[in-house]
Amino acid sequence: MAKDGPTPLERFLRGIIPENPVFRQVLGTCPTLAITGTVRQAITMSAAVMFVLICANLITSLIRNLLKPHLRILVFTLTIAAFVTIADKFLAAFVPDMSEKLGPYIPLIIVNCIIICRCEVCASKQGLAASAADAVGQGLGNTLALVAMATVRELLGSGSWFDIPLFWKEGTAGEQFRWSIMNQPPGAFLTFGLLLGAVVWIDQLHQKRAAAAKR
Amino acid sequence: MKNSSLGQAWLVLLLSLAFGAALAGVQVGWGPIIEQNKRNKTYDQIPRLVHDVEAVDLTGKPAKLSGVKEATEEVPYDDGKSVAFKVFWQGKDPAGKVHLGWVIKGKGNGYADVIEVLIGLDRKAERITGLTVLFNNETPGLGNKITTEKFQDQFRGLDAAKPVGYEKSAPAPGSNRIQAISGATISSESVCNIVNQAVAGFRAQLPALNQKDH
Amino acid sequence: MEYLSQIVLIAIGAALINNFVLHYFVGICPFIGVSRRVDMAFGMGAAVTFVISIAAMLSWVLTYYVLQPGAPLAKWIAGLFLPAETAAQVDLSVLTYIVYIFVIASSVQFVEMYLRKFLPALYKSFGVFLPLITTNCAILFACLYVMKMVVGVEPAEQWGLVPSLTLAFFAGIGFTLAIVIMAGIREELDHCDVPAPLRGPGITLIVSGILALAFLAFTGMDRKLEKMFQGDPPAATAAQAPQATTAASPAWKAPAPATQGESPDTTTQRQ
Repeated sequence: MAKDGPTPLERFLRGIIPENPVFRQVLGTCPTLAITGTVRQAITMSAAVMFVLICANLITSLIRNLLKPHLRILVFTLTIAAFVTIADKFLAAFVPDMSEKLGPYIPLIIVNCIIICRCEVCASKQGLAASAADAVGQGLGNTLALVAMATVRELLGSGSWFDIPLFWKEGTAGEQFRWSIMNQPPGAFLTFGLLLGAVVWIDQLHQKRAAAAKR
Repeated sequence: MKNSSLGQAWLVLLLSLAFGAALAGVQVGWGPIIEQNKRNKTYDQIPRLVHDVEAVDLTGKPAKLSGVKEATEEVPYDDGKSVAFKVFWQGKDPAGKVHLGWVIKGKGNGYADVIEVLIGLDRKAERITGLTVLFNNETPGLGNKITTEKFQDQFRGLDAAKPVGYEKSAPAPGSNRIQAISGATISSESVCNIVNQAVAGFRAQLPALNQKDH
Repeated sequence: MEYLSQIVLIAIGAALINNFVLHYFVGICPFIGVSRRVDMAFGMGAAVTFVISIAAMLSWVLTYYVLQPGAPLAKWIAGLFLPAETAAQVDLSVLTYIVYIFVIASSVQFVEMYLRKFLPALYKSFGVFLPLITTNCAILFACLYVMKMVVGVEPAEQWGLVPSLTLAFFAGIGFTLAIVIMAGIREELDHCDVPAPLRGPGITLIVSGILALAFLAFTGMDRKLEKMFQGDPPAATAAQAPQATTAASPAWKAPAPATQGESPDTTTQRQ
């Protein structure tokens, strides 16, 4: 490692829970709210984000020594936009139904703060291994958050998980238990707010316990 | 050189070239597949919409509509503003293309967003042979039940010459009405309106279309 | 008249019914970050409205003349190098995302420079918000929305410059509305006893959920307005006299004479 910084393993592990991009850093909120109606959408979206994140991190890490500081953001944006286009076309070609459902939210990955933030914080300073590990870790953290959101919303809103009906089947009497609001914008906001609160609450409990143990 | 603008920007230019080439490759490689997907989205529905299929096979077995997707022609009407699909069945005899009916597109405002439907009509556009919702953004659990078969099947067999209406309870047979989805009357009404508008527009153009053929 | 009503419907749709923040979830970052005080929220809203209009205008021009399949300018330039038939098929739409993001970034830069030079007072009031806007998804979303209405739609339904600009401007207004309401609520929340874990983003999101619930009530307003503008009653009306159309069926029950030799049997009875 030429420069001091967290090792690849640290980078990887940090991204998942301690520096979870969605719940800890509150980055990339748009997709978290918009496409977490079903787990399948959430997985597709996080896969796209992960792909762009890894590619952008690798490219940035490769050219980090050639990069003029004031052109940094320009290069990041160019790289991200190119890979987002590739991801978008890939989905349109091979998973057309998902591509249609996610619609404009795939191109919106370009302005997803997670990616540009990782390029800036990690990839433009560290080597390939650390950048790749960081990208995978942050990507997994993002996936975890999106799937958590989508699980709550799909279970309550559609009674299913990953399109497998668990609570009721479409068109049966059980449908009266549907929380229709969970499939709609307000449900997204409420779920995200409460999950965020829950994460902070658990964190605070841990801190209290740690403080008590010290005493 | 170091301080000239080229010295500053060579990396950006190089990256742009590389990405440009990559994107061109993507477009050439996947572009046709994407186009095909878009086409399939409509064409996959067509065999379902012209629905006299069972009757075709005289042996009593339900006939597979082979070759419908390939044999169907796109016919512009209304001064090229709309396109109808003239549906043919290739059948066993390659020479005999059998005209099954028409499929037309309808589009209009629903409760939340635009609703797009495909409507199947018989050869003379006298009755509706099927309906499917291509795009909707209606309320999940209520309005988006317009995509269920139960709702869409109600349109099959309705008279295309008269406007389709709706009722909140089960309509009398032959009343040319459908039963609206409870809790989503507006979405149901929107579908009826879209169907009426599209069918009336197509029927007005049909004589001209038939004349062109002969 | 029809054109005017379309404009009004687009405006209301963008500002209220499909509010960018509360319905499409774009621009959430500033919505949470800059909604502590009403005056700051208003500044942010104004800056977004300003940039979103400019970016949407530029992206419409670029999409219409350069990027859409068979766009006039692209065709002309390609015609200089290629035979005419190939040039007519030039499709640059794969570049749209890159072009849009640079349009946004550069329009933010230009707006910043222009304001600093000619309207220093306004520049000061926008303050740090302007550079932040580049990564505001609302702007890119507006560009993408404009693209959706230009590329791949039938010529009759293709949006011109005016509808696109209306959409963007009123989307900005809607954003301002949402963020100012939010800031007003948050100023009051300062005096409330919010559970510790929910302080900050948590309670903001929950309040936005309730706001979004309130904005849901606008859904369907455009239909009523459209009907009002059109003035004629809709074709499909609820059944008032159930026996009004009794003789509906014969038309399709009667065997249709075959038009083309051995046509499939259309007389099968259903239902």
